Amino acid sequence: MTAEFPRNGEANDQPPATQTLDEALAAHGDAEAVVDIDEPTQQLVLFRLNGQPFALPGSAVSEILSSDQPVYYVPGLPSSTEGVLHLRGTIESVISLHRLLGLPAPEGNSKGMILLVSAAGITSGVRIEQLDDVCEVTQSMLQAPPETLSGTLRPYVSALWQIDEQEALALLDPEALFDAYQQGLG
Amino acid sequence: MPLHRGHHEQAQVALVLFCVGPYRTALEARHVLAMTDHPTAPRTANAQTLLYEGGDHGSPPNRWLTLRDAQAASDNNSTWQLGVSGDITLQQLPANTLYPLPKLLLSRRFSTALCGLTFVQQQLVLLLDARKLNP
Repeated sequence: MTAEFPRNGEANDQPPATQTLDEALAAHGDAEAVVDIDEPTQQLVLFRLNGQPFALPGSAVSEILSSDQPVYYVPGLPSSTEGVLHLRGTIESVISLHRLLGLPAPEGNSKGMILLVSAAGITSGVRIEQLDDVCEVTQSMLQAPPETLSGTLRPYVSALWQIDEQEALALLDPEALFDAYQQGLG
Repeated sequence: MPLHRGHHEQAQVALVLFCVGPYRTALEARHVLAMTDHPTAPRTANAQTLLYEGGDHGSPPNRWLTLRDAQAASDNNSTWQLGVSGDITLQQLPANTLYPLPKLLLSRRFSTALCGLTFVQQQLVLLLDARKLNP
Protein backbone atom coordinates (compact mmCIF):
# COMPACT_ATOMS: atom_id res chain seq x y z
CA MET A 1 0.00 0.00 0.00
CA THR A 2 1.40 3.35 -0.94
CA ALA A 3 0.52 6.69 0.54
CA GLU A 4 -0.27 9.43 -1.89
CA PHE A 5 0.47 13.01 -0.99
CA PRO A 6 -1.84 15.66 -2.22
CA ARG A 7 -0.20 17.85 -4.83
CA ASN A 8 -0.80 21.52 -5.39
CA GLY A 9 -2.38 22.23 -8.69
CA GLU A 10 -3.88 18.82 -9.12
CA ALA A 11 -7.15 20.47 -9.62
CA ASN A 12 -5.84 22.41 -12.59
CA ASP A 13 -5.84 21.00 -16.05
CA GLN A 14 -2.23 22.11 -16.69
CA PRO A 15 0.30 20.11 -14.67
CA PRO A 16 2.89 22.33 -12.92
CA ALA A 17 6.34 22.60 -14.44
CA THR A 18 8.78 20.33 -12.67
CA GLN A 19 12.13 21.48 -11.40
CA THR A 20 14.95 19.82 -9.54
CA LEU A 21 15.98 20.97 -6.09
CA ASP A 22 19.28 22.23 -7.53
CA GLU A 23 17.45 24.34 -10.06
CA ALA A 24 15.07 25.69 -7.45
CA LEU A 25 17.91 26.67 -5.10
CA ALA A 26 19.99 28.17 -7.87
CA ALA A 27 17.06 30.30 -8.96
CA HIS A 28 17.07 31.98 -5.54
CA GLY A 29 20.77 32.59 -5.35
CA ASP A 30 23.32 34.33 -7.51
CA ALA A 31 23.47 31.88 -10.38
CA GLU A 32 26.86 33.21 -11.54
CA ALA A 33 28.41 32.51 -8.18
CA VAL A 34 27.63 28.81 -8.38
CA VAL A 35 30.71 26.96 -9.56
CA ASP A 36 30.53 23.36 -10.55
CA ILE A 37 33.47 21.88 -8.70
CA ASP A 38 33.70 19.12 -11.26
CA GLU A 39 34.31 21.60 -14.04
CA PRO A 40 37.91 21.61 -15.19
CA THR A 41 39.93 24.56 -14.01
CA GLN A 42 43.10 26.19 -15.24
CA GLN A 43 45.73 27.96 -13.22
CA LEU A 44 46.63 31.39 -14.54
CA VAL A 45 49.43 33.77 -13.70
CA LEU A 46 47.97 37.26 -14.01
CA PHE A 47 50.22 40.20 -14.75
CA ARG A 48 50.32 43.57 -16.46
CA LEU A 49 52.27 44.95 -19.37
CA ASN A 50 51.91 48.65 -19.99
CA GLY A 51 49.02 48.65 -17.56
CA GLN A 52 47.06 46.09 -19.57
CA PRO A 53 46.06 42.80 -17.94
CA PHE A 54 47.47 39.59 -19.40
CA ALA A 55 47.83 36.01 -18.22
CA LEU A 56 49.95 32.99 -18.97
CA PRO A 57 48.94 29.41 -18.15
CA GLY A 58 50.30 28.45 -14.75
CA SER A 59 51.49 25.17 -16.27
CA ALA A 60 53.94 27.15 -18.43
CA VAL A 61 55.32 29.31 -15.63
CA SER A 62 57.85 27.42 -13.57
CA GLU A 63 59.11 30.28 -11.44
CA ILE A 64 58.48 33.91 -10.60
CA LEU A 65 61.75 35.76 -10.10
CA SER A 66 62.08 38.98 -8.13
CA SER A 67 62.99 42.27 -9.76
CA ASP A 68 66.49 42.24 -8.25
CA GLN A 69 67.49 39.12 -10.21
CA PRO A 70 70.61 40.21 -12.16
CA VAL A 71 70.17 40.21 -15.95
CA TYR A 72 73.31 40.38 -18.08
CA TYR A 73 73.19 42.28 -21.37
CA VAL A 74 74.34 40.34 -24.45
CA PRO A 75 75.28 42.38 -27.55
CA GLY A 76 74.20 41.45 -31.04
CA LEU A 77 70.59 40.63 -30.15
CA PRO A 78 67.36 42.57 -30.81
CA SER A 79 66.26 45.23 -28.35
CA SER A 80 63.43 42.95 -27.21
CA THR A 81 66.09 40.71 -25.66
CA GLU A 82 66.94 42.14 -22.30
CA GLY A 83 69.79 39.69 -21.74
CA VAL A 84 70.40 36.49 -19.86
CA LEU A 85 70.14 35.39 -16.27
CA HIS A 86 72.32 32.89 -14.46
CA LEU A 87 70.03 30.68 -12.46
CA ARG A 88 71.31 27.74 -10.44
CA GLY A 89 73.76 26.45 -13.02
CA THR A 90 71.79 27.32 -16.15
CA ILE A 91 71.63 30.34 -18.41
CA GLU A 92 68.21 31.54 -19.54
CA SER A 93 67.26 34.35 -21.89
CA VAL A 94 65.12 37.26 -20.70
CA ILE A 95 62.85 38.85 -23.28
CA SER A 96 60.30 41.64 -23.36
CA LEU A 97 56.92 41.03 -25.03
CA HIS A 98 56.10 44.70 -25.65
CA ARG A 99 57.13 44.88 -29.30
CA LEU A 100 55.58 41.52 -30.09
CA LEU A 101 52.26 42.57 -28.55
CA GLY A 102 52.34 46.04 -30.11
CA LEU A 103 52.73 47.80 -26.76
CA PRO A 104 54.91 50.86 -26.16
CA ALA A 105 58.12 50.23 -24.27
CA PRO A 106 57.80 50.86 -20.53
CA GLU A 107 58.99 54.26 -19.34
CA GLY A 108 61.64 54.77 -16.70
CA ASN A 109 64.01 52.31 -15.17
CA SER A 110 61.61 50.57 -12.80
CA LYS A 111 61.86 46.83 -13.40
CA GLY A 112 59.18 44.33 -12.59
CA MET A 113 59.45 40.64 -11.98
CA ILE A 114 60.52 37.94 -14.41
CA LEU A 115 58.34 34.93 -15.21
CA LEU A 116 60.33 31.84 -16.15
CA VAL A 117 58.22 30.41 -18.98
CA SER A 118 58.59 27.03 -20.69
CA ALA A 119 56.87 26.03 -23.94
CA ALA A 120 57.73 23.98 -27.01
CA GLY A 121 60.98 22.79 -25.45
CA ILE A 122 62.16 26.35 -24.82
CA THR A 123 62.59 28.10 -21.48
CA SER A 124 62.97 31.85 -21.22
CA GLY A 125 62.46 34.61 -18.75
CA VAL A 126 59.70 37.05 -19.65
CA ARG A 127 59.84 40.50 -18.08
CA ILE A 128 56.57 41.75 -16.64
CA GLU A 129 55.81 45.11 -15.06
CA GLN A 130 53.46 43.94 -12.35
CA LEU A 131 52.37 40.57 -10.98
CA ASP A 132 48.66 40.67 -10.12
CA ASP A 133 47.75 37.19 -8.97
CA VAL A 134 48.05 33.46 -9.44
CA CYS A 135 44.59 31.92 -9.51
CA GLU A 136 42.43 29.03 -10.70
CA VAL A 137 39.63 29.75 -13.13
CA THR A 138 37.07 27.39 -14.61
CA GLN A 139 37.34 26.71 -18.32
CA SER A 140 33.86 28.15 -18.87
CA MET A 141 35.10 31.55 -17.73
CA LEU A 142 37.53 31.66 -20.63
CA GLN A 143 36.05 32.73 -23.94
CA ALA A 144 37.40 32.42 -27.43
CA PRO A 145 39.11 35.62 -28.60
CA PRO A 146 36.59 37.79 -30.47
CA GLU A 147 36.99 38.77 -34.11
CA THR A 148 37.38 42.35 -32.96
CA LEU A 149 40.63 41.59 -31.15
CA SER A 150 43.48 43.55 -32.71
CA GLY A 151 45.44 41.78 -35.41
CA THR A 152 48.65 42.37 -33.46
CA LEU A 153 47.39 40.47 -30.42
CA ARG A 154 45.30 37.79 -32.13
CA PRO A 155 48.10 35.31 -32.98
CA TYR A 156 49.20 35.20 -29.34
CA VAL A 157 45.88 35.20 -27.46
CA SER A 158 44.28 31.82 -26.81
CA ALA A 159 41.35 33.09 -24.71
CA LEU A 160 39.81 36.09 -23.03
CA TRP A 161 38.60 36.33 -19.47
CA GLN A 162 36.05 39.06 -18.90
CA ILE A 163 37.07 40.02 -15.37
CA ASP A 164 34.29 42.58 -15.02
CA GLU A 165 32.30 44.92 -17.24
CA GLN A 166 35.27 47.22 -17.63
CA GLU A 167 38.18 44.90 -18.15
CA ALA A 168 39.01 41.75 -20.10
CA LEU A 169 42.23 39.83 -19.65
CA ALA A 170 44.06 38.19 -22.54
CA LEU A 171 45.41 34.69 -21.95
CA LEU A 172 48.63 34.43 -23.95
CA ASP A 173 49.83 31.32 -25.76
CA PRO A 174 53.50 30.91 -24.76
CA GLU A 175 54.23 28.56 -27.65
CA ALA A 176 52.97 31.13 -30.17
CA LEU A 177 54.99 33.87 -28.47
CA PHE A 178 58.25 31.91 -28.59
CA ASP A 179 57.60 30.76 -32.15
CA ALA A 180 57.04 34.33 -33.33
CA TYR A 181 60.08 35.56 -31.48
CA GLN A 182 62.23 32.92 -33.15
CA GLN A 183 60.85 33.94 -36.52
CA GLY A 184 62.17 37.44 -36.00
CA LEU A 185 59.03 39.17 -34.73
CA GLY A 186 59.21 41.43 -31.72
CA MET B 1 88.75 -0.04 -18.37
CA PRO B 2 86.24 2.80 -18.04
CA LEU B 3 87.54 6.22 -17.22
CA HIS B 4 86.05 7.91 -14.17
CA ARG B 5 86.75 11.56 -13.73
CA GLY B 6 86.76 12.80 -10.17
CA HIS B 7 85.48 16.22 -9.27
CA HIS B 8 89.06 17.59 -9.31
CA GLU B 9 89.71 16.00 -12.71
CA GLN B 10 86.73 17.48 -14.56
CA ALA B 11 87.23 18.45 -18.20
CA GLN B 12 88.68 21.85 -18.93
CA VAL B 13 88.59 23.95 -22.09
CA ALA B 14 91.49 26.23 -23.03
CA LEU B 15 90.20 29.68 -24.04
CA VAL B 16 91.81 32.90 -25.19
CA LEU B 17 90.02 35.80 -23.53
CA PHE B 18 90.00 39.34 -24.87
CA CYS B 19 87.67 42.33 -25.24
CA VAL B 20 85.37 43.24 -28.10
CA GLY B 21 84.41 46.81 -27.33
CA PRO B 22 83.23 46.76 -23.71
CA TYR B 23 82.42 43.03 -23.75
CA ARG B 24 84.69 40.27 -22.47
CA THR B 25 84.86 37.58 -25.13
CA ALA B 26 86.62 34.25 -25.67
CA LEU B 27 87.68 31.90 -28.44
CA GLU B 28 88.78 28.32 -28.06
CA ALA B 29 92.59 28.48 -27.84
CA ARG B 30 93.17 25.73 -30.42
CA HIS B 31 91.84 28.02 -33.14
CA VAL B 32 94.18 30.89 -32.28
CA LEU B 33 97.48 30.43 -34.12
CA ALA B 34 99.27 33.62 -33.10
CA MET B 35 98.86 37.13 -31.71
CA THR B 36 100.43 40.34 -33.06
CA ASP B 37 100.30 44.03 -32.23
CA HIS B 38 99.71 44.99 -35.84
CA PRO B 39 97.81 43.32 -38.66
CA THR B 40 100.08 41.30 -40.95
CA ALA B 41 97.62 39.10 -42.84
CA PRO B 42 96.02 40.25 -46.10
CA ARG B 43 92.57 39.59 -44.64
CA THR B 44 91.55 41.19 -41.36
CA ALA B 45 88.34 42.10 -39.55
CA ASN B 46 87.50 44.07 -36.43
CA ALA B 47 85.66 41.73 -34.03
CA GLN B 48 83.16 44.48 -33.19
CA THR B 49 81.87 44.68 -36.75
CA LEU B 50 81.43 40.91 -36.85
CA LEU B 51 79.60 40.62 -33.55
CA TYR B 52 77.02 43.36 -33.36
CA GLU B 53 75.39 46.11 -35.33
CA GLY B 54 77.06 49.47 -34.94
CA GLY B 55 80.29 47.81 -33.87
CA ASP B 56 82.17 49.61 -36.63
CA HIS B 57 81.86 52.85 -34.63
CA GLY B 58 83.82 51.44 -31.69
CA SER B 59 87.43 51.97 -30.75
CA PRO B 60 90.03 50.41 -33.07
CA PRO B 61 91.55 47.07 -32.06
CA ASN B 62 95.02 46.99 -30.51
CA ARG B 63 95.71 43.24 -30.84
CA TRP B 64 95.33 40.87 -33.78
CA LEU B 65 94.61 37.18 -33.34
CA THR B 66 95.62 34.96 -36.24
CA LEU B 67 92.94 32.37 -37.05
CA ARG B 68 92.79 29.62 -39.64
CA ASP B 69 90.47 30.54 -42.51
CA ALA B 70 87.51 28.21 -42.06
CA GLN B 71 85.98 29.41 -45.33
CA ALA B 72 88.98 28.31 -47.38
CA ALA B 73 89.39 24.78 -48.75
CA SER B 74 90.56 22.24 -46.20
CA ASP B 75 93.91 21.79 -47.93
CA ASN B 76 94.52 25.53 -47.88
CA ASN B 77 96.49 26.84 -44.92
CA SER B 78 95.39 30.45 -45.37
CA THR B 79 94.80 32.54 -42.29
CA TRP B 80 93.18 35.81 -41.37
CA GLN B 81 93.38 38.15 -38.38
CA LEU B 82 90.72 39.20 -35.92
CA GLY B 83 91.13 42.62 -34.35
CA VAL B 84 90.43 42.68 -30.61
CA SER B 85 91.33 44.81 -27.59
CA GLY B 86 91.88 44.68 -23.85
CA ASP B 87 93.94 42.19 -21.88
CA ILE B 88 94.55 38.95 -23.77
CA THR B 89 94.72 35.97 -21.43
CA LEU B 90 94.83 32.20 -21.83
CA GLN B 91 92.61 30.42 -19.33
CA GLN B 92 91.50 26.86 -18.69
CA LEU B 93 87.84 26.91 -17.70
CA PRO B 94 85.81 23.92 -16.45
CA ALA B 95 83.66 22.57 -19.30
CA ASN B 96 80.59 22.51 -17.09
CA THR B 97 80.74 26.29 -16.63
CA LEU B 98 80.47 26.94 -20.37
CA TYR B 99 76.82 27.33 -21.33
CA PRO B 100 75.30 27.20 -24.82
CA LEU B 101 73.39 30.29 -25.93
CA PRO B 102 69.75 29.92 -24.82
CA LYS B 103 67.61 28.34 -27.56
CA LEU B 104 65.35 31.33 -28.01
CA LEU B 105 68.30 33.55 -28.92
CA LEU B 106 69.91 31.28 -31.50
CA SER B 107 67.80 32.52 -34.39
CA ARG B 108 68.02 36.20 -33.37
CA ARG B 109 71.78 36.66 -32.91
CA PHE B 110 73.56 39.12 -35.20
CA SER B 111 76.44 36.67 -35.62
CA THR B 112 76.14 32.89 -35.70
CA ALA B 113 79.63 32.84 -34.17
CA LEU B 114 78.08 33.76 -30.80
CA CYS B 115 77.61 30.23 -29.48
CA GLY B 116 77.69 30.39 -25.70
CA LEU B 117 78.25 32.26 -22.48
CA THR B 118 80.22 31.84 -19.31
CA PHE B 119 81.15 33.80 -16.23
CA VAL B 120 84.68 34.62 -15.13
CA GLN B 121 84.92 36.37 -11.77
CA GLN B 122 81.19 37.08 -12.01
CA GLN B 123 81.67 38.88 -15.31
CA LEU B 124 79.78 37.66 -18.39
CA VAL B 125 82.04 36.31 -21.15
CA LEU B 126 80.75 35.80 -24.72
CA LEU B 127 81.92 32.52 -26.25
CA LEU B 128 82.63 32.61 -29.99
CA ASP B 129 82.95 29.75 -32.45
CA ALA B 130 86.05 30.69 -34.47
CA ARG B 131 84.86 28.57 -37.42
CA LYS B 132 81.76 30.74 -37.80
CA LEU B 133 83.59 34.07 -37.87
CA ASN B 134 83.71 35.43 -41.40
CA PRO B 135 86.23 38.16 -42.17
